[in-house]
Amino acid sequence: MTMSEIADVLKAEVLVKGEGIHKGVRHVMASDLMSDVLLVDEDDMLLLTSLASDQVLRTAQIVGAVGVIVVNGKPLPSSMVNVANDLRMTLATSRLSKYEACVAAHAALNPA
Amino acid sequence: MSATPETPGVPDVKPEADPAGNEPLVLLELIQRLKVRDVMTAQLVTVPRSATMLQAQELMRQKKISGVPVEENGRFFGLVSIDDIIRALVAGTIGEVCSRHMTTKLVVLEDDMPLSFALRYFDRYHYGRFPVLNRDQRLVGIICQRDINRALLVELTRELRRLESSSVQNVGQDGTTSIYVLREFPICKYDFENAGKAANQIKQLLQEKKFPPKIIRRIAVAAYELEINLCVHSDGGVLSWQISNGRAEIVARDAGPGIEDVAWACRDGTSTANEWIRSLGFGAGMGLVNVKRVSDEFEITSKKGSGTTVKSVINIA
Repeated sequence: MTMSEIADVLKAEVLVKGEGIHKGVRHVMASDLMSDVLLVDEDDMLLLTSLASDQVLRTAQIVGAVGVIVVNGKPLPSSMVNVANDLRMTLATSRLSKYEACVAAHAALNPA
Repeated sequence: MSATPETPGVPDVKPEADPAGNEPLVLLELIQRLKVRDVMTAQLVTVPRSATMLQAQELMRQKKISGVPVEENGRFFGLVSIDDIIRALVAGTIGEVCSRHMTTKLVVLEDDMPLSFALRYFDRYHYGRFPVLNRDQRLVGIICQRDINRALLVELTRELRRLESSSVQNVGQDGTTSIYVLREFPICKYDFENAGKAANQIKQLLQEKKFPPKIIRRIAVAAYELEINLCVHSDGGVLSWQISNGRAEIVARDAGPGIEDVAWACRDGTSTANEWIRSLGFGAGMGLVNVKRVSDEFEITSKKGSGTTVKSVINIA
């Protein structure tokens, strides 16, 4: 399932279509602790977070994530869109809670 | 009577941004790293409260200065400026004691504020000088724009020499024998707007050079964690990296405040980060642990009160 399709499943609004928008997502990491995100050694990862800061995008770029979805409908600072464009990182925002987003993403990636 | 100093509240250490975003990083780092005490004139010319305005005027003429602090035993009472002298001349009070005619409502700076803060206040208040007090509210210096220009020229010259002597870029293509890149990035304390940019640049360059993705990830993670550490825990420092002889070496060096217990700092989950840092997603105490995890060699040296140097080496051959 691609990043774009996952965004649809999570009813997310895609604010920046980066390089990973049509890439397949194989792993989902949900965290507000960027140090934890940096510990993950998974490829093709989607980052779900309720943290709305530029550092989320920089961290996602360092670990090679395909995209970032900020959950809980948090308003994003305008700088995030600018940074996402600079890094060519896909950025979306969803009104789902982090738990709901995790459940929906899991169901979508692991169909019964 | 004593001066009524208006000290700025919590220093906003972020310098004024150039709308075009073209500030040289070296200059930004300098005005963050340098403190007011590094730049101010500490050898003060002062007068006591009992001195007459005429004596103050004569002293200002002799020393070629445009203002003189009124001070006794380190206690700061006010400042006699050219304006005060002119007013006294017009009013015929030039023979009276300066404690009656000095300016007492003053904006002052504290000696441990970053230079960026002083620059902002010169811009905001248009005064020619600011008295400098220490934490005990004792007068320890005076700062004018000439002091700042002189200090920045000296520091920039020093920085230029250092960069010229150390920077070698894009030499050779053979990762086992020659240097690919040696670069240094100044990192400012609490500058979260820019934190991570150095690691992002390193990663992009490694991708352009087509290094293996796993190696790129390890180098990028080490560089990013060390960069964030400099931003969060140090008073500012330098992140440098180079690739030579089949090794990537990333070094984070700062001048303070140092770590009291290095072994403790390298343990999982130990951190001195405050709530604000944690709210930004960092400060979980995993930074150094993570750098160690991705490194083939890891070294840290630190001394409380001085600086810390962390070196991460990743084999790429």
